[in-house]
Amino acid sequence: MRLRLVRSRLRRRGGARTTRFGWGLLLWFVVLGLHGGIAHAENRLTVRGNYYREASTRVLAPELRFTVDAPDERFMLGGGYLLDVVSSASIATGTADATGGDNVFTELRHETSGFVASRLGPWQLNAGTRYSTETDYIGRNVHAGFGRDFLQRTLNLHLTYAYNFDRVYRIFGGEGRRLPWCGGNYGRSCDRRDGGTNLLQTHYVGLSYAHAVHPTVLLLASLEYAWSGGPQDNPYRGMLIPAAEQESHPLRRHRFALWVGPRWHIRKARVTLEPRYRFSTDSWDVHAHVVEAHVHWRVHNHVVLRFRYRFYTQTKAFFFDEGYNYDYDEREFCTKSTPTGCASADPKLAAFVSHTPGFQLTYELDGLAKRTRMAWLERGWIEATYNFVYQTNRFGPARALGSLAFSLAF
Amino acid sequence: MRIARRWSVGLGTALILATSSCVAVKPSQRQYLALPEMDPATNADEERWQSHVESAREGGFGGHGAAGGGCGCG
Repeated sequence: MRLRLVRSRLRRRGGARTTRFGWGLLLWFVVLGLHGGIAHAENRLTVRGNYYREASTRVLAPELRFTVDAPDERFMLGGGYLLDVVSSASIATGTADATGGDNVFTELRHETSGFVASRLGPWQLNAGTRYSTETDYIGRNVHAGFGRDFLQRTLNLHLTYAYNFDRVYRIFGGEGRRLPWCGGNYGRSCDRRDGGTNLLQTHYVGLSYAHAVHPTVLLLASLEYAWSGGPQDNPYRGMLIPAAEQESHPLRRHRFALWVGPRWHIRKARVTLEPRYRFSTDSWDVHAHVVEAHVHWRVHNHVVLRFRYRFYTQTKAFFFDEGYNYDYDEREFCTKSTPTGCASADPKLAAFVSHTPGFQLTYELDGLAKRTRMAWLERGWIEATYNFVYQTNRFGPARALGSLAFSLAF
Repeated sequence: MRIARRWSVGLGTALILATSSCVAVKPSQRQYLALPEMDPATNADEERWQSHVESAREGGFGGHGAAGGGCGCG
């Protein structure tokens, strides 16, 4: 009887929630209906094949993305799927642990994402989620944002918040087991009674600014902050460190970035210049500068060639030693006041510079769409991108990344 | 702390100057702003891929306007 009463209450509560949800949905559509005069809809499907190569690692990453306006920009839906196929022969990426020897291994990572967005007059709202899974890592993300237009829609400010809550594991290939990885200080036991957790959380806040200050000049800038807490060291790379046999990084990290990237279109030359600068700094003392330039040249009505050059430099993390000679004490946690608890063989925490020249060719299909039975190609495009990275760290002197993409509007 | 205060003052001043601009580009003058090469959204997918690779190979952060993570290859 008591059970029936409880069930009945639950049903009533569920019913009330459903009714509230129904009213909320109705109110949403009423609000959408009140904001008329929105631009026409454009649905889009994009297929992209990404490629990355360095001395010991190859990555192929095909992806599919779509956006649908339902019925127009007042309510938009989108989603995507990405497959990362990583082939590696590097001990630092865990080959020996995962395969039980010095062999090449291939790992798959599946990523799905979805979002909803809305433009209501001068306001923009968006929310979304992303889920990623591989053998030793589960990545989850939820994000939401809102923005507003000012000055007759020539200025836009947008605020985004994102929360990542990932789970980190370590694979023992020889033993065929997957165990949680809580960070080097917790060792293999990962004892939760001592506060150990394999949950890596990140809170992210970003503020972006876009302003058309002239018919041919657009100013863009962003400020970003992120806080991460949880295991941020690699479960496998420790075997490169003689004194520690495991990596141990701080469990907390604050990061801050400032980015500016104006765009200027030169009408007579049909060229768009896009210089960029980014400064980022964090509580691990990694200070990075990026100076980048893109030159977009419309060589034909439907053909755009883009040249790119990127210069990157960073300082090393406060606990990083180039020779991996650590006076490691496993009883300490890695912090600025207890650096003996730190050990790292992570090349991306070393001081290094990189130079990246690259190019991109985009062919817009509007020309083809004028031909008989080819109208479906209107507003579609094909794009090929290639970049080559010269760098001065242990990842190797050279790496290449590129992509081929095909996009259709429907 | 002093550096943070200087940054805050500098950014605040820049934001005020940027948002108080009295120049408004009329809708009829926006044909060049509508070109794909002037639209930041055009390269959003490529930027996402770049961001993914950079987060696995560089200690720096940000600059792509979106949150990273989920790679597990670092």
